[in-house]
Amino acid sequence: MAEVATKKKTTQILDEGIERGAARLTTDQIATVVNRVLKTETGARLKTYVETCIHCGLCSEACHYYLSHDKDPRYSPVGKVKATLWEILKRKGRIDPESMKQIALIAYTECNLCKRCAMYCPFGIDIAYLILVVRRICHLLGITPQYLQDTAHSHAATMNQMWIKDDEWIDTLQWQEEEAQAEIPALRIPLEKEGADIMYSVIGPEPKFQAQLIYQTAVLMNVAGLNWTMPATPGWDNSDMAMYSGDNEIMGRIKRAHFEAATRLRVKKIVMGECGHAFRSVYDMGNRWLGWKMPPIPIVHAIEFYYNLLKEKRITVAKKYDEGVTLHDPCNVVRGGGLHEKSRYVVKAISSNFIEMHPNREHNYCCCAGGGVINCGPPYKNVRVDGNRIKAEQLFAAKSRGATTLIAPCHNCHSGLEDINHHYGLGFKIKFIGDILYEVMEKPE
Amino acid sequence: MHDLYNFVSGPLVWVAFAVFFFGCLYRLIRMLALVNQKEKFIFSYMSFKYSLRSILHWSIPFATENMRQHPVMTIVTFAFHFCLIITPLFLLAHVILWDEAWHFSWGHLPEGLTDIMTLVVVFGCFFFLIRRLRLPEVQFVTSASDYIILGIVAAPFITGFLAYHQWFNYPFFMILHIISGEIMLITIPFTRLAHMVLAPFTRAYMGSEFGGVRHARDW
Amino acid sequence: MYNRIIKFLGLILVFVLMWVPAHSQDEMTAIDNDMFLKPQRPVSVFQHDEHNETAEIEDCAQCHHLYEDGQLVEGESSEDMRCADCHEEKGIGKTPSLTQAFHLNCKMCHQEKKSGPVMCGECHVK
Repeated sequence: MAEVATKKKTTQILDEGIERGAARLTTDQIATVVNRVLKTETGARLKTYVETCIHCGLCSEACHYYLSHDKDPRYSPVGKVKATLWEILKRKGRIDPESMKQIALIAYTECNLCKRCAMYCPFGIDIAYLILVVRRICHLLGITPQYLQDTAHSHAATMNQMWIKDDEWIDTLQWQEEEAQAEIPALRIPLEKEGADIMYSVIGPEPKFQAQLIYQTAVLMNVAGLNWTMPATPGWDNSDMAMYSGDNEIMGRIKRAHFEAATRLRVKKIVMGECGHAFRSVYDMGNRWLGWKMPPIPIVHAIEFYYNLLKEKRITVAKKYDEGVTLHDPCNVVRGGGLHEKSRYVVKAISSNFIEMHPNREHNYCCCAGGGVINCGPPYKNVRVDGNRIKAEQLFAAKSRGATTLIAPCHNCHSGLEDINHHYGLGFKIKFIGDILYEVMEKPE
Repeated sequence: MHDLYNFVSGPLVWVAFAVFFFGCLYRLIRMLALVNQKEKFIFSYMSFKYSLRSILHWSIPFATENMRQHPVMTIVTFAFHFCLIITPLFLLAHVILWDEAWHFSWGHLPEGLTDIMTLVVVFGCFFFLIRRLRLPEVQFVTSASDYIILGIVAAPFITGFLAYHQWFNYPFFMILHIISGEIMLITIPFTRLAHMVLAPFTRAYMGSEFGGVRHARDW
Repeated sequence: MYNRIIKFLGLILVFVLMWVPAHSQDEMTAIDNDMFLKPQRPVSVFQHDEHNETAEIEDCAQCHHLYEDGQLVEGESSEDMRCADCHEEKGIGKTPSLTQAFHLNCKMCHQEKKSGPVMCGECHVK
């Protein structure tokens, strides 16, 4: 076993954000920041978790990184906590900048904060929270992966993730409205409609790269005859990479902007697109940072939204999608929101040949893209695909039982699975639920 | 010998139990005070129903996915923890000593059974030791303290077993048994053995979050 | 040859004759535990005469006490009774159970005098 533990990691990634951040630091500064965070920002959870953990290693098999790296103990959840937080605590924060770089790499790129391990720890220790504390320290030290930091900067400057300017946002919506009017002439994407029932919000990448998703939702909303709107002001973006970089202050600002947009429009609820981390941000982390136990305005994730539409027969299916489909359960809406049965209801309603992958529901393997890891950018693509061989094996097993389409109702999962699909040559067609729903729904002639 | 026996079975027992009870109480109060001081929101998420649901699932052998993935570990750890708590509480000699001191008594288990249960605990410790030494994922996160607490737990049972059977030097092992038991009681609140009192709370919190907010299972 | 055998048998006879009277006095070597149907521990070793000699106990009542209505009767002793005549398997009121009576009677005195066995296995020798 000593052999495994000393095996060198194959590639050393040079990340400008981490390198430059570390170059500015001294051990004293690191100690100051660490101890400030420990003293002012952490409390009973951190202390109790660290002092209760009996070092049993039973969380190991929860982690896709561990399983994908031939059970290398450095990738087990507790192994990563040992290499980061325990080390910080043991040295009372006196970590030299070189070691801090390694700690940052582990915290940002070798954990997706998917919380699968929380379900495997006999004591229910929230290991993702511990890693988030490490990320918080790294953020305050200014050692963050460059791409992720850039995204956080975009959030801070524009209130959206993709440096989208206010007028570009409106242009994009109007463009999609026009496109969709070719199909449904009376279709509208109502902007700034005060008193609508629903405010629909998306993540920054949708208007930037995937505008057809807005198109599809617009069709859905119009066919279902819903009273909906989208804000024309900042606050339209529900995504949140600051949450993952450790920049809680920015997380709070963008969530406030989001909730305030909904409040200004006096909507009854926010419906959000098929995104997992955004759901975590509005339903779990961002709202709490702002002092809301639960979101101040009801949040309906796309899965639940589709579920309601189909259940209430506001949308009917013309002809079911007949290829073999399998369903990926995203951590943030399944372990984080319990939407797994609803997503199955929807998938079964729109497709005729549903094939479960195993494990599934709460026990599904992570996509290895979430938790901000994919947002750490291209330098870490191999970390993600090599770190998730187990996912490829899981998908391959589903494929061998006839699945050709992979549904991933989460943006991060979607992109992460694309990389895995490509790298391992799995040949899946990867779709959002909305893609298929749009395809199979009854539309007015 | 009488002075030593009277000391370890008299004042030291008082000390051990006092440290154990007040130590555990201190750990709990300090934890709750810290929650109150810095993470008050935790209280608002705590749900009795979901806490219990989670604790129950994790108290039943093979009721969780992880337990099913590690059947041997599951059997050993349940047998170990059950015997660890039940054996000393219902051991005939302990009950009699308690009766002599306080004229207060409760049922006891047959000595043949407690003998086996003692061996189960010792075997459990041995199993955990082997796990620590042999399994890479456990070895990687093992430090000296893990061996020490394992030793602290094993010692009263090994010495108790030897004393019961009066092998080797009876008085020596008897005294050692009493002292090691007291060491265990004293160290529980101040080592990671404190999971005895803290784990139900971490479990309850995770259970409440998963049940009440996440609407998902945590097992 | 025959001579030798007779001498040898004579020697055995002498030993037997010496041994029998030594034990015919019914000297007590262990606590009377007939009361216990299924004793968990081996019977306690107790050499009555040797014990009293070493411990210099003259007064029988020191162990063979007599209680009436919960009060110790001074000057009376109870060596003509069995402990089990008063102490039953379970304690009744202030009267300790037989087990406890044995334990308290022996152990308390040993602890007071700082002499004699006090730990379980010192009396219940396996």
